[in-house]
Amino acid sequence: MAIQSFGERPVIDADIGGSNGRIGQPIHIQLLDFFGETQLGPIYLGVWGAIAFISGSMFAFIWLMTMFAQVGYNPVAFVKYFAVLQIDPPSAAYGLQWAPFNQGGWWLTSTFFLTLSLLAWEMRLWTRALAHNIKPYLAYGFSSALALYLVIYIFRPMAMGNWSEAPSHGIKALLDWTNNVSVRYGNFYYNPFHMVSIFFLLGSTVLLSMHGATVWSAEKFGAHEEIAEIEAPGTGTERAQLLWRWVMGFNANAYSIHLWAFWFAWLMGITGAIGIFISGTLVHDWFKWAIEAGVNYPQLPYPNVSVPPPPPLPTVVPPGM
Amino acid sequence: MSAVVLDGSRSTRVIGGRTLAQIEADFRKPGRTFFGDIFGFDPFDFWVGPFFVGLWGVTAILGIIIGVYFYADAVIFHGPYSYAQNFIAGRLVPPPAAVGLGLAAPGTEGFKWQMTVLFASLTFFSWMMRQADICRKLELGYHVPLSYSVVFSAWLTLQVVRPIAMGRWSEGFVLGVLPHLDWIIEFGYRYNNFFYNPFHALGITGLFTSTLLLGMHGSAILSATQCRSADPEASLHNFWRDIVGYSIGEDGIHRLATLVAAGAVLVSNLCILSSGWLVKDWVGFWLFWNNLPWWRGV
Repeated sequence: MAIQSFGERPVIDADIGGSNGRIGQPIHIQLLDFFGETQLGPIYLGVWGAIAFISGSMFAFIWLMTMFAQVGYNPVAFVKYFAVLQIDPPSAAYGLQWAPFNQGGWWLTSTFFLTLSLLAWEMRLWTRALAHNIKPYLAYGFSSALALYLVIYIFRPMAMGNWSEAPSHGIKALLDWTNNVSVRYGNFYYNPFHMVSIFFLLGSTVLLSMHGATVWSAEKFGAHEEIAEIEAPGTGTERAQLLWRWVMGFNANAYSIHLWAFWFAWLMGITGAIGIFISGTLVHDWFKWAIEAGVNYPQLPYPNVSVPPPPPLPTVVPPGM
Repeated sequence: MSAVVLDGSRSTRVIGGRTLAQIEADFRKPGRTFFGDIFGFDPFDFWVGPFFVGLWGVTAILGIIIGVYFYADAVIFHGPYSYAQNFIAGRLVPPPAAVGLGLAAPGTEGFKWQMTVLFASLTFFSWMMRQADICRKLELGYHVPLSYSVVFSAWLTLQVVRPIAMGRWSEGFVLGVLPHLDWIIEFGYRYNNFFYNPFHALGITGLFTSTLLLGMHGSAILSATQCRSADPEASLHNFWRDIVGYSIGEDGIHRLATLVAAGAVLVSNLCILSSGWLVKDWVGFWLFWNNLPWWRGV
């Protein structure tokens, strides 16, 4: 890894607030020592950060105040019913039109601010990486989460022609939307993009555990100093590689494991976004789709019915019969 | 920071790294196995290709062969469809509820399921012990087998602990590529609505958090290796402090990663175990919330 300065890259941001755009003084909390660095702060604001924080706060303010109004500004009722209160999008009758505030207008307004906040956050990740002369991989990665959000809240409702397709803002409301979308389109478990997305979700957890545990176990050999170990692998990385080679016949290296990590996490969001976008627009019944595609067959009733006798065997009898 | 690096470890670093042959020549040596430490000799202390075998490798292979035999026999060779269709749609169901916690007789329904679960469990346990053997050989900590034990606990919770808690093997997980999806959705609605299971919500949150952490860590290292500044590590620290006000550091992220991923699976175990055993209806479960004494009248 040739370390060389190529000079400044242009950054579309301005250091507003604090000194050089940074707010607060670094403080040290000794309690954090087990988990990592003890230094907390400072944090950068800048234009994109300001847009992200302000519009994010606007979303939270509209969301919370609308729900607070729903319980007549009674603070006890607000806490009691917090998880079940929600702001609904306009009903299907409004299509993609504006709706009065109490009939979905607050949802449109708050979603506008939420979307603006997330887009500004993406710009913040991008411009901060350029400012520190590192490649904006985190912005690439966040694009996956952004795609999933935009498909669920913006693109798919637009493709379906009304905002009521989007989830309401609320804790129970989000769970209900997830549940309903599965039931409405036949059975989401038969959506192949859902299958692949779940694979990457669980696969990401496995990879995180494998990588974290491997490096933690080789900490005493310096394997956690990954930038140095990528440039010049030492005994820690060698042992970590042999561990997986001896366990499963294959190993990554200190650099390539992070490629695996990045792509697993990125593909989780992207495949999920595709699977949701085509539900209701291209495919209306995933159960029927799976039967037509030949990956599922009309199922025997559940549970514990006796299996019908096997069909006549082919001429070649497989081993173990 | 709390990580202590042994003297001399850093000086072993070679720019570009050593070849696999050089590394293997240094580390592929007999000794330092559990079996050898207990009995003084170890007939299984050898490698096949890249794989270390060991006592637990032998038991793992036995478990794989016998378990796959029962699974393939039931699902593929005696399934209701063609072989190719059976591979996707074939199912292996647990014994009927009437069997309770007994053993299904050979030839009756559920026998092959019990055998598959038994030998799969043997294989998973062996795999974990084999990882521990390899960690001993390489003088590493036991973090990898401990993490593996967490995912093994998820299998045991589904197939052994919960069926025992419910008093019948028929509660076990249906095996098969697509049928296991049917089991999951059926299980979700059997307890009214699984989305209202708080441990399910926490488990899902843990899985998404794990994916987020994986994406953050992977992109951080990739971005720092493709770096225009003179000090990539300082750039990375400053980048994270600019973005979220905190940079956890290179040893901290791996500790957090291990703990978050394990926590997600352990909470998911609770969500499975409590359903049906402690709670029959996850919607009705929340009635307690409205009746808490301090806001019953509100």
